[in-house]
Amino acid sequence: MEDFLLWHYDGKSATRRSVVPQTRDGGFVLADPESDWIGDPVAWSDLVVIRQQRGHSAYGHRDRPGWRIGFTGDAPPEFAALLPKNEHYGKWVDKIGLWPAVGTFATLAVVAIFVLFQSPQWLAPLVPQSWENNLGDAMIGDFGNRYCRTPESAAALQALVREIDPKGEARQVEIANIPMVNAITLPGGHILLFDGLVQAADSPDELAGVLGHELGHVRHRDSMAGLLRQIGVGLFLGGFGGEAGNTLSNLVTLSYGRKAEAAADGVAIERLEAADISPKATADFFAKLARKEGSNARVMSFLSSHPVSDDRRRRFETSVVAGRAYRSALTNEQWQAVRNACRDDPNVASPIRWVS
Amino acid sequence: MQDEDQVGRDGFAFEGNWREYAPIAFTNLLLTIVTLGIYRFWATTRSRRYFWENTRFIDDHLEWTGKGFELFLGFVMALVLIGGPVLFLNFGVQALILHGHPLFAMLTALFAFLLLFYMVGLARFRAVRYRLGRTWWHGIRGGSEDSGLRYGVSYVWKTFVGSFLLGLLVPWSMMSLWNERWNAMSFGPHRFEAAGDYRNVFKRFLLFYLFPILVLIGSFVFGAVMVAMQSGAPQGEAPDPDSLVSQLAFVGMAIGIYAALGLIALAYYAKFFREAVDELSLADLNFHFYARTKDWVMLILVDILLVIGTLGIGAIFLDYRHWKFFITNLGATGSIDTDALTQSTTSLARHGEGLLDALDVGAF
Ligand SMILES: [Zn+2]
Repeated sequence: MEDFLLWHYDGKSATRRSVVPQTRDGGFVLADPESDWIGDPVAWSDLVVIRQQRGHSAYGHRDRPGWRIGFTGDAPPEFAALLPKNEHYGKWVDKIGLWPAVGTFATLAVVAIFVLFQSPQWLAPLVPQSWENNLGDAMIGDFGNRYCRTPESAAALQALVREIDPKGEARQVEIANIPMVNAITLPGGHILLFDGLVQAADSPDELAGVLGHELGHVRHRDSMAGLLRQIGVGLFLGGFGGEAGNTLSNLVTLSYGRKAEAAADGVAIERLEAADISPKATADFFAKLARKEGSNARVMSFLSSHPVSDDRRRRFETSVVAGRAYRSALTNEQWQAVRNACRDDPNVASPIRWVS
Repeated sequence: MQDEDQVGRDGFAFEGNWREYAPIAFTNLLLTIVTLGIYRFWATTRSRRYFWENTRFIDDHLEWTGKGFELFLGFVMALVLIGGPVLFLNFGVQALILHGHPLFAMLTALFAFLLLFYMVGLARFRAVRYRLGRTWWHGIRGGSEDSGLRYGVSYVWKTFVGSFLLGLLVPWSMMSLWNERWNAMSFGPHRFEAAGDYRNVFKRFLLFYLFPILVLIGSFVFGAVMVAMQSGAPQGEAPDPDSLVSQLAFVGMAIGIYAALGLIALAYYAKFFREAVDELSLADLNFHFYARTKDWVMLILVDILLVIGTLGIGAIFLDYRHWKFFITNLGATGSIDTDALTQSTTSLARHGEGLLDALDVGAF
């Protein structure tokens, strides 16, 4: 190996040396054949690959920054056998090979996506209710003074809430001055019935059905799950700017998924049943919205977060007990007070449109 | 001893070829997809290793010693450091609006915006520093003693001042930031010296102000053509604004405006980059950049054709093309004393350009 010429940088200056390696126990030293320069001993295990390409090879030293040896062509076999191997795709991929790695990663990716979309449902119940309440209250405040309240409407709404939610699971139920046909549940048990929905309803029984449905979302903590999902997806996509910026307004149009909606419908039917209110009106309400679909942009808001399927309508319809004498959810005076709440409240802020 | 064909201008040469790079590019794409994007840090590292080791300066090649893991770590750190506060501020601003404090919300949003802007400046600085620190030649690397914290402040106020007077100060702002950034960088024991003069690129920048006039002339011609076409139509037939011809003309004009603006931007940037690099030196080495506007236009045009013609797959070769363009147009004159080129004493960052990656801005 005495004629195996290497180039060498010592990492202290850019001076290039021509050297030959002299093997020592477990390593070698570099010596300049034309002067008496001799380098520090190097162990084979300290070498790292810098470059192995088209006949050019270069190696570095684990602990000496800038220390390099290199050569063109092939090293003598006894030298080559002890040199470290090049890294191709990265340590882990090299260890198991490209295609097994692709397979493993793809499987993991599918699992990760599944967990990402499912975990909010698992995690939401683990968030202490008091945290959710604090977060929801901080987010919403007085909703920019957009709650419609007259003494009469407040009393009427309270009467409705007492029927549908006697245990007080929802912490707040309000009519919001927003001309969209929608209702939302926000973290912390806040249910907002939009004025657009109140105006679109033909009877208080329809409103009772929607309230029961939103109560289902409160009970199942769907809005907390929705919030977690948004944060998760936002972080996953790595974009802080676009997605997270609209968190709250996205909640308005957010669908919690078919299962959550069906579960909320179940709660609605149960509450209507307990309150002795006919689910027929809610079924009719769905049918009415479905007919209006496409013709009315304001209706679209509700439809995008609550896809009205025939199944959903039929479920309410079949839960009607024939021959049973249902009562009306509100008296006519109460119903009128609710309908006129936004018109008659002198202090409410002007309507907003969140989703254009 | 050197293959003359391979020697670029004044010492720099790129010796790679795309066929050799293709396996790297394709496996990078594949692994990035199946890891939902996480592999891209290792992909970047593999690509750079290839670019650097196929870049020769005088008698030896560059080396890239960056690691995928440190890029990943930097990204995660940036995510926590920026993502947390941004998320918090987002909710804060929304809560303030809903609670009826729009002024306070605006101030908070402004503060958040300034902070983010500062981060972008900081990120640009740190990216150059990181790249120099991982670039080796003859066993010597670059770096910077500067943390870039002050550069971030400069970035905010100089960009702000640059927008004064209808943007007339933009060339000054850009050049002075370039100089400030590079004057803080070093290779081995030597500091870079950047002395680009914005006055030399100012005339080119004025092209931007020619643009509205061009648009005016364009719309005049457009209008005249439309009128001529309508008068050529048979009598009694109402002119149809939705006709295919007028729609095509409209699309054509939109593309024309876009292309003209792009062309002006390229012409300015070509001049800016030439001036900036031409005034950059390191000890007795003076750097040069030779690409003129038409070279930049060709680069971008072929980029576009490549991406469109391959339905997007060609995008994996863009980094390769840009590096090759950069190196083949880069030159250095003067001399370098390898004995005096001793090791850099700057400290090395343990994490990569994560901030830059997270904010998604370019380094140069
Ligand atoms: Zn729902």
